[in-house]
Amino acid sequence: MVTAPVPELPDETPLAAGAATAAPSAEPEAAPVEERVPSRFRLRERWGTFTHQVFTMQEDRFFLLLAVLIGVFGGLSVVCFRLAIEWTQIALLGSSLVPSFPRVVLAPTIAGLVVAFLAMRVFPAVRGSGVNQTKSAVYISNGYIPFSTVIGKFIACALAIGSGQSLGPEDPSLQMGAGIASLLGRRLRLSQDRLRLIAPVGAAAGLAAAFNAPISAVLFIVEEVIGQWSAGALGAIVLAAVSSVVTMRAFLGADSLFRVPPFRVAGAFEMLAYVVLGIVGGFASLILLKWIVYARPKLMALPRWTHYLQPAAAGLLIGLIGIKFPQVMGAGYAIVDQAMHGQFTWKILLVLAALKLLATGFSFLSGAPGGTFAPTLFIGAMLGGAVGAIEHHFVPSLTGTVGTFALVGIGTLFAGFLRTPITSVFMVIELSGNYTAILPVIISTMVAYGISRAYQKVPLFDVLARQDGTVLPSLEERREMMSLAVEDAMCPANVVVCEPGETITEIAKRAEAAPEMALLLRMRPGEWWLLDREDVMRLAPDASPTTTAIRAKSKGPVPYLFPDQTLSEALAVMADWAMLPVANRANLAKLEGMLTLEDTLKAFRKAPKEEN
Amino acid sequence: MEAGAQNVAGAQSEAGAVERRLNSREVVFLLCILSLIALSLFTAFVTRMYHKKVHTLADDYFSYGEERFQAGDTAAALTDYQNALVYSPNNTKFQFHLAEALAAAGRYDQARPYLLALLSEAPGSGEVNLQLARIAAHNGAMSDALRYYQGAIYGEWPDDSVAMRWHIRHALCEYLIAKKAIGQATPAVIDLAENTPDGDVGKQKIVGQLLLVTGQWNRAQILYRALLTADRFDEEALAGAGRAAFELGEYKDALEDFNRLSPERRNQPDIARYDEMAHRVFVVNPFLGGLSQQVKAQRAANALALAETRAQSCAKQAGVSLAETPPRSELQIAYATNEKMSPDWSARDLQRFPDRLDAAMQTTFDIENAAAKTCGEPTGDDRALWLLGHSRMMVNR
Repeated sequence: MVTAPVPELPDETPLAAGAATAAPSAEPEAAPVEERVPSRFRLRERWGTFTHQVFTMQEDRFFLLLAVLIGVFGGLSVVCFRLAIEWTQIALLGSSLVPSFPRVVLAPTIAGLVVAFLAMRVFPAVRGSGVNQTKSAVYISNGYIPFSTVIGKFIACALAIGSGQSLGPEDPSLQMGAGIASLLGRRLRLSQDRLRLIAPVGAAAGLAAAFNAPISAVLFIVEEVIGQWSAGALGAIVLAAVSSVVTMRAFLGADSLFRVPPFRVAGAFEMLAYVVLGIVGGFASLILLKWIVYARPKLMALPRWTHYLQPAAAGLLIGLIGIKFPQVMGAGYAIVDQAMHGQFTWKILLVLAALKLLATGFSFLSGAPGGTFAPTLFIGAMLGGAVGAIEHHFVPSLTGTVGTFALVGIGTLFAGFLRTPITSVFMVIELSGNYTAILPVIISTMVAYGISRAYQKVPLFDVLARQDGTVLPSLEERREMMSLAVEDAMCPANVVVCEPGETITEIAKRAEAAPEMALLLRMRPGEWWLLDREDVMRLAPDASPTTTAIRAKSKGPVPYLFPDQTLSEALAVMADWAMLPVANRANLAKLEGMLTLEDTLKAFRKAPKEEN
Repeated sequence: MEAGAQNVAGAQSEAGAVERRLNSREVVFLLCILSLIALSLFTAFVTRMYHKKVHTLADDYFSYGEERFQAGDTAAALTDYQNALVYSPNNTKFQFHLAEALAAAGRYDQARPYLLALLSEAPGSGEVNLQLARIAAHNGAMSDALRYYQGAIYGEWPDDSVAMRWHIRHALCEYLIAKKAIGQATPAVIDLAENTPDGDVGKQKIVGQLLLVTGQWNRAQILYRALLTADRFDEEALAGAGRAAFELGEYKDALEDFNRLSPERRNQPDIARYDEMAHRVFVVNPFLGGLSQQVKAQRAANALALAETRAQSCAKQAGVSLAETPPRSELQIAYATNEKMSPDWSARDLQRFPDRLDAAMQTTFDIENAAAKTCGEPTGDDRALWLLGHSRMMVNR
């Protein structure tokens, strides 16, 4: 008997069940009344019927409906947020790509002071990117995100990013989406389970609208926030992401974030060029990672009054950089677009990548609210373009343009820095609306991801969470834990396998020869029983030559496993059994090995451990 | 009974709670819908304002860019165009003007990606193809340049497409001629000629020059003669017709055309050279009608003597012996023929036996041809004889 997972029953809340019985009786009476009553009453009745149908539906269906609503709210809020940033930027830095001298220094510095005041005094939860806050909502506070955080994030981020801080609007959009979803969930009195899952739904909506990339948003939430594909919220996440993007496009248009000139990527040999980019990108992302991981606790440990000045100091430094290189200020999408159109030489690209890395470090470490996604894209694009231009210098026959490398660089840095490789690949495709670069992106991304993992064991968001005093689950680790299979833990089949026709005497002889081994009776393919060794030994002296194994005491049928099943599944069926047989999927009579609880625990102990 | 009543009361209170919860949800849901509508309206209003502002900014920057570009301040224009693109990133007009300014500033590698992006969106755009053709031509990518030129010729043009296409055909011809790809230039020039309006004298003259450069003498002559029927004193047409006639071996016609030119024009080096050579050919030619037999014979004898001297100087220059037996090279064979026949080809003999004139002159031409092959093209009267030989050959063919 294999214990199959029990199918989840429909989530019937008392409310749903109670209301379901009431509904049919109400409907037949409605028709005659409708003919008599005035139209305003009919309207009210219809609204009543509609809401009744909505609120009496099963909660998982209502959850999906709510996801659409959250998506639309998320989309609208992101549109307003983006416009707020743009307007702030025009107001503070001017409309030109090259801001004038006093503005370029004064705007980020003064705005830094205001932002610090807001973050310290008015909206204390707005510091940082917002990804961890959303994860905290899922794992710690049962989906609760105060709505003041949404407002605070909106104002503070618009001011910080608009004034030129080297941060992006994506992560804040994610948190704002989560905050809106949390508010709706609470007000609509969702059950505890659903409330916990609603933050990722809103987060997906916010991120999807900010990037104009629904697939990437869903993947990011799955990879980074909920950490698994099988979560009950997945359908809602997808719905929210799609509806938010549709809403956003209705207001801001459907164009991709970046426009990449046409290119082609030819030949297997050329892929080596992208391996080089992956290596460079991997180490560049490590520099940023290590810097943040090292410097953040030190800056946080400084006296509290310095926290009021840190964003202003970061703003001042960025402003000084901006005098010569204004490109590093703000989110920098226009500059990424220029890089993709080959507007910079490799030297400029390299300088911009280095300066943006510095500026992003300053902004993020200072505690200014804002995201790291956009700066990561910027650094990746510049670095990718530089690597591409240098490679073109030495290998002029490369078919990929500087723009191609810039595009691939985006995914590379993203994978290395944020450690979400699948999101990175799809993000590049969605941001550019171009599928041509898929192979180079995969190659480069995986190389960068591998390097980042090799030299920085704990991903950025996990480190940040620990620095903030919370221990959020490491989703990277969780992904790996899930991959531990029965075959990783099972031992060779050190059992005496007996057949039903075998005599007790023969079995006893074999049991005597192997005193440590259990006796397993194979009744038929896929049906195993554990023979009681003592009973066999007891029966053996007096047994007639025709007494078979069936006469002995046995326990079964024993559930069996397959080598590819996960250890978590194995633990679920192990329950009262000291050991379980592991059978071959093609031949159920063939024993591949045995699994004991001890072996299972040993395998878990051997699995990669988190770095403290 | 009591328990039953309690159950009923419990059920009622539970139903009441459910009802309250339902009502509460209903109100919240209604508020959600209302706030969604309000937020949508607000967002629509703000977005509209934003788009208006952004369009104004983009248009303003573009206008500044245009002004500065027209004024020759390309660097400032580039910044303006880039600013315009920040606010209207998908505007193909802005992208094109930026690319144009980049190309004008010699930043071809930066202009190209924008143009390629534009081309992918509008493969039939004549303007984009033309810019790309110019960049490819500058970068020495001839096949790309040809492709883009063709794209520009057959592409779409917003206005006066006929004139634009003519200009691009002309540019293509000039490019191919500059690249010394005369084989490819020839059909391009013919195409240009066929697409040149008959009444446009200026363009006809340009085509005539290109026909001359690509060696299409007949077409050039027809074109210039047509121009001369309209204006028989058109100096450029006369010069062109004269040159074409010269190249076709019609030296008499060439001289006539050159004679009709003004002295200033005739003395210009390009005309004077052909005029002088046509004269020489005219002077050395023993086949001209109207000459007495004596003059013909004398000219033939002079030509033979000239050819003999040319053969000897060429053999000396090339280190070849003319006395080698048996003669092997063309020069040796022609010279040996002359040596052998010279007793019969004196001026007196040629006068007495006019039928020998052709053979004597043929030997002269053979020597001049062979010497030209060995030592390069001749000059002076030797060149006149050599040209005469060619024209005779063409006539015979």
